Amino acid sequence: MRGVRRALLVALLLLQSPAVRAQGPSASPPSPPIRFEEIGAAVGARMQHHTHKFKGKYADVLGMFTSGGAAVAVGDYDGDGDEDLFVTDSDAGRPNHLLRNQLAETGKLGFVDVAKEAGVAGGNDERTIVSDALWFDADNDGHPDLLIARFGTPILYRNLGNGKFEDVSVKAGLTKFGNSIAVIAFDYDNDGRLDLLFGNYFKPVNLIDLPDTHVLPNNLDDAVNGGGVTLWRNVTAPGSHDIRFVEVTEKAGLAKHTGWTLDVGHGDLNNDGWQDLYIAADYGTDRLFINNRDGTFRDATKEALGGLDTKKGMNVDMADFDRDGWLDVYVTNITDEYMKECNMLWHNNGDGTFTDLSKETGTCNTLWGWAAKFGDFDNDGWEDLFAVDGLRSAGKENYIPVLLEMIIKPGVDFTDVASWPAIGNMSWSGLQKKKLFRNLGTLAFKEMAAEAGVDNDRDGRGIGLGDFDNDGRLDIYQTNADQESLLYRNVSPGTAHWLELKLIGTKSNRDAIGARATLKIGGATLIREVNGGNGYAGQSSKRLHFGLGTAAKIDSLEIRWPSGLVEKLETVSGLVDHITTIKEGSGVVK
Amino acid sequence: MTEGLRRLAILLVLAAGLAMSEAAGAAGVARATAYEDAMKAVAAGNHAAALPLFESALAADPDDLKSANEYRKAVIRTKEYDRAIAFFDKLTAQHPQAAYAWLNFGYTYVDKIPDAGSITQVILANNALTNFSKSIELKKTWIALFTRGNSYLYWPKIFGRAPLGVADLEAAVAISQKEPKPRSVHVRAWIALGDAYWKTEQPEKAKSTWREGLKLFPNNLELKARLARDGDDLEKYIYDQLDPNKRVDTNLAPLWEGE
Repeated sequence: MRGVRRALLVALLLLQSPAVRAQGPSASPPSPPIRFEEIGAAVGARMQHHTHKFKGKYADVLGMFTSGGAAVAVGDYDGDGDEDLFVTDSDAGRPNHLLRNQLAETGKLGFVDVAKEAGVAGGNDERTIVSDALWFDADNDGHPDLLIARFGTPILYRNLGNGKFEDVSVKAGLTKFGNSIAVIAFDYDNDGRLDLLFGNYFKPVNLIDLPDTHVLPNNLDDAVNGGGVTLWRNVTAPGSHDIRFVEVTEKAGLAKHTGWTLDVGHGDLNNDGWQDLYIAADYGTDRLFINNRDGTFRDATKEALGGLDTKKGMNVDMADFDRDGWLDVYVTNITDEYMKECNMLWHNNGDGTFTDLSKETGTCNTLWGWAAKFGDFDNDGWEDLFAVDGLRSAGKENYIPVLLEMIIKPGVDFTDVASWPAIGNMSWSGLQKKKLFRNLGTLAFKEMAAEAGVDNDRDGRGIGLGDFDNDGRLDIYQTNADQESLLYRNVSPGTAHWLELKLIGTKSNRDAIGARATLKIGGATLIREVNGGNGYAGQSSKRLHFGLGTAAKIDSLEIRWPSGLVEKLETVSGLVDHITTIKEGSGVVK
Repeated sequence: MTEGLRRLAILLVLAAGLAMSEAAGAAGVARATAYEDAMKAVAAGNHAAALPLFESALAADPDDLKSANEYRKAVIRTKEYDRAIAFFDKLTAQHPQAAYAWLNFGYTYVDKIPDAGSITQVILANNALTNFSKSIELKKTWIALFTRGNSYLYWPKIFGRAPLGVADLEAAVAISQKEPKPRSVHVRAWIALGDAYWKTEQPEKAKSTWREGLKLFPNNLELKARLARDGDDLEKYIYDQLDPNKRVDTNLAPLWEGE
């Protein structure tokens, strides 16, 4: 019955589709090619990642379960108008990298690692593992601060505005141990301060000093013994640099989720001006939480998603892929020869329910999925998707048959590290080609990674999107576990127009995270929301990027700020093909 | 006629309720009554109420294929898989020589697969194989050999189980060839044997098996569909048929219907 409903929905959506009605930018485009060139080494941005090497009897298995940590955060930390990168490493003693973009200074794209001088290289030691990173302006002073998530306690570096950072984690109250794998910043209570949500994989036990070996999932399809999430409310006094957080997980109604969280994402899913949450969990069901607008959330998973799932949720990103004015959600899972889960492209039906259209749209299979990000790579006005995959590319021997023997052993205790066979030099879902799905604007995507030059077979983890060379085309930074990262510069030919918006909140949080821009053009309506780190192991640029296709003018632009202020910009003629700064309450300022 | 088929024929007669002889005794009466009451509950749409009645029927006759078949159908409707698994676990412990009880125990795991997560599916499929093997150890019947052989084909190539499927399905086809006249249900083994050859990199043998099957069953659409395809098209078709996320047809009624 659900299949029939889905088919009917697709038919209905197709009838209503702007593309079918031939409206909007490049509605039925004679698509120009999408092309990328990999320039990581040439511009000084190729970084080798190292997973944490555990010691002792269970080193091998624990290493296998913690093979993430290769993350990237995109942000203009020095405020010079170009996007910089923070790239993590994870093994003890290995430094993280703060790659300062020299574009504004030299006119040429190039990066210099200034992590040591800035004081942000540390974080990996014998007892802690860096897993994710995030730029966000915790004290609303205009200087993006840096949060490093760890299997351990997090580190909050306050940006001093002079190229240096100060570790304020303890003063800020961020001293709670967690096995965090994901972190986002968003303003859940719309009080103008950015709060933090951590996604935690294992429950809070120190894996490096295991008191008890029973720390692994208690069920491989329905585990409830993971780390869940932790929500921290920003209580920094206005105008103060004395950043403070207090934990509100329980109070906010998020403590009952005890799954193996791999990613967390936020967005206004019901168009009420408040940020909602989607939590992707490994070994069991994802969760969708709707903001009650009173500092709490309600678990709407069953009614919104039609039930609980048993999949291996790895990534959350949100965008309005079909331009119907409602944010949709893309989740990667595992689809391989031995496991056919299929991803989920949750189409937002606008009535509190979502329908998975991944099969119908051709976005079901990204193999052993990790990060996936929406972005309009060809500037045709439709959000495309780039997805990375691949778990472990090592020796010729395959771990799966070995693992099978354990899985089917009667009475096996999955939670016990000692039950799991060592992986040694075996491969597991390795050498997988990345996927680039071009949005055809007809509720269908076409996979074209090879054609676009991004079909590498590394063990991908995170994606950071940004216009690193300020040319109006979205570039891609890809991190890989135990391998070098890649930087793909978008060199797509074509003359499609674009615009980028840098939003500055005044009453709202200064990063404008949660702000929504609605752009009308040729009868089509495009929405973009500023997000604070959606997507596994990768934060994309906070600049909003719109492809405009052949349209050289826009009809209107409206910004809905988290404070509730709605600003309609009357003068929009100069925005096309430019990066424009808009300040809350003041309109275009640059 | 093999011992297995003779036993099957006897069971079918019993299940059809055609020979409620005095020899059947009290147990037979109890089984028949419970079965009839269960079927009345099913007809009334009350599948949950039918479950204990089918269980009573099976307790009286553990090898009763028809009761087990209807029981599993009701289990699928109510999604009471774990109850059924527990029931067959107990039944086979009490009647370890009941070959068809083991077979249906295996089928109960198969029935649960589409409603399970991807890793649980593997565990269920493996449990099913274990029980099919117990059934075969007790009696090498066509249905048990076909069932286990076909089950092997659902496993990804990486686990190397398709060659085991070839062996079972060749044995099943051999049993069916001993029949004086082909029975329509036997076409399944011809289809599956071709699929097994195809999955073990023997495409020519697969095609010739399907062709041979089509001579015996000239109207079979599944054989025709396979023979009409080649290369990637055929691969997609076969993998689509062997998708573990789709419910496998475990209805045994064709064994006694449409002959």
